[in-house]
Amino acid sequence: MKIILDAMGGDNAPQAVVSGAVKAARELDADVVLVGIEDQVRACLAACGGEGEKRIEVVNATQVVTMEDEPGMACYNKRDSSMTVALKMLKEGRGDAVVSAGSTGALLAGATQFVKRIKGIRRAALGPVIPNGDKGVLLIDCGANVDSTPEYILQFAYMGAFYAQRMMGIEAPRVAQLNVGTEDTKGGTLQKEAFALLKAASDAGRINFVGNAEGSELFTGRFDVLVTDGLAGNVMLKTVEGAAKFMFKQLKGVMYKSTPNKLAALVIKKDLAGMKALLDPSEVGGTALIGISKPVIKAHGSSDERAIFNAVRQAIACVQADVAGAIEANIDHMKLEKAKEI
Amino acid sequence: MVYDKIVEMICEQFGMEPDELNENTTFIDDMGIDSVDVVELVVELENEFGLDEIPEEELKKIRTIGDLAAYVSAHSDM
Repeated sequence: MKIILDAMGGDNAPQAVVSGAVKAARELDADVVLVGIEDQVRACLAACGGEGEKRIEVVNATQVVTMEDEPGMACYNKRDSSMTVALKMLKEGRGDAVVSAGSTGALLAGATQFVKRIKGIRRAALGPVIPNGDKGVLLIDCGANVDSTPEYILQFAYMGAFYAQRMMGIEAPRVAQLNVGTEDTKGGTLQKEAFALLKAASDAGRINFVGNAEGSELFTGRFDVLVTDGLAGNVMLKTVEGAAKFMFKQLKGVMYKSTPNKLAALVIKKDLAGMKALLDPSEVGGTALIGISKPVIKAHGSSDERAIFNAVRQAIACVQADVAGAIEANIDHMKLEKAKEI
Repeated sequence: MVYDKIVEMICEQFGMEPDELNENTTFIDDMGIDSVDVVELVVELENEFGLDEIPEEELKKIRTIGDLAAYVSAHSDM
């Protein structure tokens, strides 16, 4: 298996990407291709002792997609960027998956334009797994599509269910729709129309739809996949991230408030570190671009060596799980007669 | 021939029917697709017709299926 890395993507690139690649090549069962400005990539390899590593290949790319580039046009305009070259290599079969910590929007657009969606899939979606103390909840879509149709929501539900089945090891994933209430009649036109489609798919035994869910239920374990339009999904994800940061800051304040508190904190220090690791993006790996015909993993923009290593591990799992194959095999059930635009 | 091929590709890529489309059909307003979709189609056309990369300024002028067919016909060797 061969994993292609965009060596120039991310806040800590290329060094963190190269170091993560070296660790992955040594510890995981895969060859790694580093795509980037060759001189810089080789200098980073030398800096981390990865020169001459047999499982690493370097492919030159003269351009870099930056956060200033217009996401929808970045890969199109920068054909020799590390991101575009990596995606084109994937399309041409010169690797099995791509990992990039670069611009999310550019990667999503580039993957759509150069790797292509699975035939019949209207929109690819971002599906991060939110920790909930158990196997987690797949939140799909969390920002790829701010405008959605009921058909997109139906497809996100199917794609999320296949991902949860194959990547999270859940046999019959419970799918819920994010809404303002749990009753069947809640929500706007989009949620109501999507509800009918989700229920029909569930009645036909194709997905396990458990109804609407409020945001407050995210961590209750009532469902494994939470389906929503990209706007609401992104607002929810960022709110959860912000709330977690706030809680840790408050907790830190309490722990340093007095000497007895500091002593108490010392006792539970190890457990607190474990709790923090649960929410650490570098432990998670990355977010899959679900609906693209081949695995593309978006690693966190601030990825360090460990995060890149875990993203490569996730990419290997994605290839082995063949989520795209499962989606493709069921595509006939996932399409409406004609796409309804809102 | 170029126009027919473009229509065929649009129908396959975006789930549309040929009778919904004509030379004056606009991508964004009539078909309801976004700029990422348009670029996806253009990349496909570059491969299909052996075109060089369409400059962004030229791409911005292409609003309808007819505009795209005219550009491809003028720049393709096929």
